Amino acid sequence: MSDLVRLTIEGRPVEAPAGTSVLEAAKLAGVLVPHYCYHPSLPVAGVCRMCLVEVEKSPKLAASCATPVAEGMVVHVESPQAKAARRAVLEFLLINHPLDCPICDQAGECELQDYVYQEGRATTRFADYAKRFNPVEDFGPDILYVPNRCILCTRCVRFMEHLAEHPVLNVSERGDRAYIGIFEGAALDHGWAGNVVDLCPVGSLVSKDFLHKARAWDLDKTPSICPGCTQGCNVTIETRDNQVLRVRPRPNPDLNRHFMCDYGRLGYGWLNRTDRIEAPLVRDGSRLVPVDWDRALGRALDLVRGARGPCVALVSPGASCEALERVAQLVGAGGGAGAFRVAKGDEIPLPGVPDLALRTERAPNVAGALAAGFTRDWDGAAARARSAALVLVLDEPLHGLGAAQAWGPMIYIGTVLPDEARGAAAVVLPSATMAEEDGTFRNIGGRIQPYHQARAAPGMARPAAWILEEILDALGVGVGAQA
Amino acid sequence: MAIGVKTVSRPAGDTSYVRASLKGLSLTFRHLFQKKWTMEYPEQTSDAEWSLSKRWRGTHRMAVDEHGKAKCVACGLCPQVCPANCIKLIPGEDEQGNRYPLVFEIDEFRCIFCGYCQEVCPEEAIHVGVHYENAEYTRDGFVYDLERLMRQTHEVSTLWDPSDPRGQ
Repeated sequence: MSDLVRLTIEGRPVEAPAGTSVLEAAKLAGVLVPHYCYHPSLPVAGVCRMCLVEVEKSPKLAASCATPVAEGMVVHVESPQAKAARRAVLEFLLINHPLDCPICDQAGECELQDYVYQEGRATTRFADYAKRFNPVEDFGPDILYVPNRCILCTRCVRFMEHLAEHPVLNVSERGDRAYIGIFEGAALDHGWAGNVVDLCPVGSLVSKDFLHKARAWDLDKTPSICPGCTQGCNVTIETRDNQVLRVRPRPNPDLNRHFMCDYGRLGYGWLNRTDRIEAPLVRDGSRLVPVDWDRALGRALDLVRGARGPCVALVSPGASCEALERVAQLVGAGGGAGAFRVAKGDEIPLPGVPDLALRTERAPNVAGALAAGFTRDWDGAAARARSAALVLVLDEPLHGLGAAQAWGPMIYIGTVLPDEARGAAAVVLPSATMAEEDGTFRNIGGRIQPYHQARAAPGMARPAAWILEEILDALGVGVGAQA
Repeated sequence: MAIGVKTVSRPAGDTSYVRASLKGLSLTFRHLFQKKWTMEYPEQTSDAEWSLSKRWRGTHRMAVDEHGKAKCVACGLCPQVCPANCIKLIPGEDEQGNRYPLVFEIDEFRCIFCGYCQEVCPEEAIHVGVHYENAEYTRDGFVYDLERLMRQTHEVSTLWDPSDPRGQ
């Protein structure tokens, strides 16, 4: 690493690759330079003037986001001159910023709020002036623009122009009349447009879906993986009172950077379904009777032990790698095979990030299912299920197969009970959704990524991997039985 | 085992109750002609001599604006700050696009009357009141909804001196 540049930031020696901005180098030194317009995944604009720092032997303050590091540079972030500049910038931004934090969705995670609070100014010199007022605008399917709160950092404009390559936003007017405009007849309807809500450092661009739903400080945040498609974007599931309220991207520089698509962002509704199976069910004549786990697992075990002949597994590519591998182990032991099918949609790429798109296959673990040995031969497997000695279904809705299909003896492990399985299943074991368990997904590039439990499963539902492990253990082939 | 009791004989002047009784009665009689310190509650609830402190923290009241609507904007600060977790708030949006409380309920049984909700409110909407008569026939009656809070007419508490809000 011969191209490392040595410099001093706030008295701390830093080594940064040549070409790094002073702001990024300061992060390496553990110093946060306040900023609005700079974003690591967007081109540098240098318009907010918030990141001004003092560089020794430089005639005036430098915008640290746009200044590359140089050998021997000495940077002061908290010098009186730099602080005075930032105070002035904040005062400037606050001239027209409304005092509507109590009703603003961004309150609690707002960078303007944070920096103003940090600075500690309690009064304004502009109390006698009427603030600029513009009405709220509807920008698209999920986005509202509140011009009064806007600080014109242009992150949204740069995202739409350089990352989405769908330039519909601009800065209209100039001076103190400037606002973010949208072209006549255009809408923020790009498949990745929802990211401008996350990029907005204030509450100017807000999500209609999340509007007024919760305050930022109420939310519990859990690292997870988006279950929307095979891309496997890293996300944070945000919950309150056991309800998933919002899904936001979690930065991963190698995969999705700071972004996620609207399909994944708004597709969390099924995690809050209330028509879930809450207790294990076993068949008693024509009825399914709720029982405890011991009896249900006992019945399932009888079916597995009694299976003479090939077994068939119909699995969901939305299940965790752990669950899929255990199904493969269970069914494979009986000389059977498994298959899955996956919903398809249009591929929507984000042009500004290489190899990032909403993929056509709308399930998170297609690669994991293939790696566990399942095939895409859905029709063949469904046909074989008629004569199979045992049919094991893992959270697959079975739509299109019809309640009239004559199934072999069926163990249904799933979150909700479809009509197709209601009449056929001998044992129904309630499983957790991906938001209610820990597990891993294998994405389209073979990357195995963990996700974590964000909410409690309803009733007696358990993670599918746990259920299958219990059966494998009882058969003497599970990890626990071998240990 | 018998207990030995020692009997002390004292002069009649020391052991007679007559003198002490007369002394006590005379004190009582003297008080009939002195200033009264008690108030005949509930016929009488306050007077010039005795009233609740301006800083009394009693059951809540919601302030209303000039259109008769609650001042609350459902910002969620009072349920957040409430140490007794007695405020239930669900925000919504009205026809004009303004944020307002769809549901605002205070469980007065859970409330510890700390006054933090009044202190934290950025809109000066929710107040604790200078009020103490809260009897109800059912327990449910103590969960005050928004209409009930807006209907209250009693004085609201002055938690700090308006001329010296920081107590300096």
